[in-house]
Amino acid sequence: MALEATSEAPTTTPRRTRSFEQRAILTVSKIWSWLFLIVLIVFFSFEGTGFVSIRNSQNILVAITPILLMGLGQTFVIIAGGIDLSVGWVMGLASVVSALVIRDTVTLLAEETERQGLSSALYSVFAAIGADASPEAFAIILGFILGVGVACVAGWINGVIIAKLRVPPFIVTLGVSFVARGVALLLSGGNIVGGQPRLLRDFGNESLFYLVRGEEKAFYILHRPELTGNDLRLLDRILAWPVVIWIILAIILGFVLRSTQFGRHTYAIGGNKEAALRAGIPVDRHLIRLYILSGFTTGVAGVLNTARYSGGSSIAGDPLLMSSIAAVVIGGVSLFGGVGRVSGTVVGALIIAVLQTGLVMMAVEPFWQYVIVGIVVIMAVLMDQARDLIVGRAEA
Amino acid sequence: MSKKLLVLALVFVMAVPFFGASAQDGEDLPRIGFLPGVVDPFYQVMELGVNAAAADFGLEVVTQYPDTWGPTVQTPILDAMVARGDLDYIITAPVDREQMIAPLEAAIEAGIKIITVDTFVGDGDYVNGPVTFPLSYIGSDNVEGGRIAGHALAEALGGEGKVFIENTNVGVSTTEQRSQGFREAIAEYPGMEVVGEEYSLDDANTAAEQTAAVLQREPDLAGIFGVNVFSAQGAGNAVVNAGLGGAVQVIAFDATEFAIEQLREGVVTMVIAQKPFDMGYLAVEFAMADWRGVTSLPVRVPTGYAVITAENVDDPEIARFIYQVP
Repeated sequence: MALEATSEAPTTTPRRTRSFEQRAILTVSKIWSWLFLIVLIVFFSFEGTGFVSIRNSQNILVAITPILLMGLGQTFVIIAGGIDLSVGWVMGLASVVSALVIRDTVTLLAEETERQGLSSALYSVFAAIGADASPEAFAIILGFILGVGVACVAGWINGVIIAKLRVPPFIVTLGVSFVARGVALLLSGGNIVGGQPRLLRDFGNESLFYLVRGEEKAFYILHRPELTGNDLRLLDRILAWPVVIWIILAIILGFVLRSTQFGRHTYAIGGNKEAALRAGIPVDRHLIRLYILSGFTTGVAGVLNTARYSGGSSIAGDPLLMSSIAAVVIGGVSLFGGVGRVSGTVVGALIIAVLQTGLVMMAVEPFWQYVIVGIVVIMAVLMDQARDLIVGRAEA
Repeated sequence: MSKKLLVLALVFVMAVPFFGASAQDGEDLPRIGFLPGVVDPFYQVMELGVNAAAADFGLEVVTQYPDTWGPTVQTPILDAMVARGDLDYIITAPVDREQMIAPLEAAIEAGIKIITVDTFVGDGDYVNGPVTFPLSYIGSDNVEGGRIAGHALAEALGGEGKVFIENTNVGVSTTEQRSQGFREAIAEYPGMEVVGEEYSLDDANTAAEQTAAVLQREPDLAGIFGVNVFSAQGAGNAVVNAGLGGAVQVIAFDATEFAIEQLREGVVTMVIAQKPFDMGYLAVEFAMADWRGVTSLPVRVPTGYAVITAENVDDPEIARFIYQVP
């Protein structure tokens, strides 16, 4: 993984001088979050009522969607030595914008269709791009593009100010966060933007596969079996669409970070910015792209939130900001830059969701979850430092 | 006791426009500030009530919305309203019963009279309680609201089954009282049991995650009380996705248009509506009455509730309680 970065960065300790203890610590620091996740799952399997079930596993995968998506872009940004604090409110902004666009487009299309097509210039434009065939699908696609687009613009603003004007990312993204919050509240008036089409809600809640427990022909692909009444309880949704989307994004971004020049540049900038500059890496341009990427994944989180709850909510992302950063840190991304991988962030997000779900199933006082997440975050930082002591900053 | 207060309040509703008639002739009129708890449909409907009464009396109202719920956000806005120096009354929903006492006292010292709406300071008893400086507390009795929710749920379930509370935050007077009232009501039914309470921190995602987990833990769960819109929204989403839509009753507090939309879609099964318009209108009337020298204003006016279900939601008598913001 991160080893690719080392070719461009100076090493401090020669590899061969490591003792057995050092290698042991190094190994533990690499895999401890996986071990911890496994321990948690085993523990809750015995202690949590209903924890071991297909439905619960799917619930957890759905639950991590927003924090993981916010964390995916954040992983790149933090590896490059930055931070993006704007993701919480930018997610809310994307949610509101997509909901407004979808609602108003559906209304507009319905009105134009009622005016009997030919007389309306607007309608002929719609018809020309095929929007009259499925107005709802058209509105949803448009809403998603604009929702994600507005988040990318926020990311671009972050990136330009950070890279070109040399303002610390902490300050810039905090400022953009306030702007996003203000705009989201202005657009929504503090309300949840409802009036969404049924198709959107289905996209946010339906799944790729369905499993009906205790039935002969139990597995369905794409087609949701017709069930009513108590039979509905037997239906498990396997891989809900939001989960499919984050899995695809995580795989793509994992590949990009590990195996492409884009990823190597990201590590190099985080490892040593001066060295990256001297090595001819276009640092400014790369930083801007990273913040746009962070805006992009956050925007996806926002539009999926609109779909899941069939309403745009400006405050949807703010409570999740700290959890998303915690997921990244628990996953082994160093806040000092240069170290980390996408799979780590997935594990970090899973640890948080498993804790939240498992503690509810144990009927434990819900606030323990924060205590435990806090301890895990500190453990993650300690592991990071232990690793640094052994191998030095740049080589980890 | 509360009935007496209601009667008194009604007397004022009828009597005050009488004063209002003479107030039109360019006389010295009070200036009123309106400081809600946070920007949301509930307070926006309350503002409609405030503005309607202000128009009836020919008064000017200065309205300022905090964008987040919390004393650190509300206090500076309150201070700024006091610093204007031209307000005679401030109608406000204090966001914390303890922390807002000192800032409101500062307003009193500046010669401004305070009416609290929806929420209160101290223990809400402005006669014998620790805080007595506000003129009146006009708002729903949230314990009563919780009881109404509990009884409505019990009725829908035939007085039997396990129920669960999806709360928002610890230490918020209104939601804690709703939870308390709900538990009191459920305790009256021997066949019913509250099997847990979770805190969603006002986040629908968290509420959905917690509810999904509770549904796993308690497969025979029969009903959920979502103490506000976000909690009910998340709980309802988890219920529908578990294939339990209609089988598990979900009660939502506060009749925002979105909550009604969720009711029509079957995500929630019942919505408890407060009467924010009444709160806003009455508060301005009280200010006007006090300005005119009325000294027997009731210090507590509970404004009551309406229960909205899929069956009665189109009945105009009920539908008028939906928080409709133009």
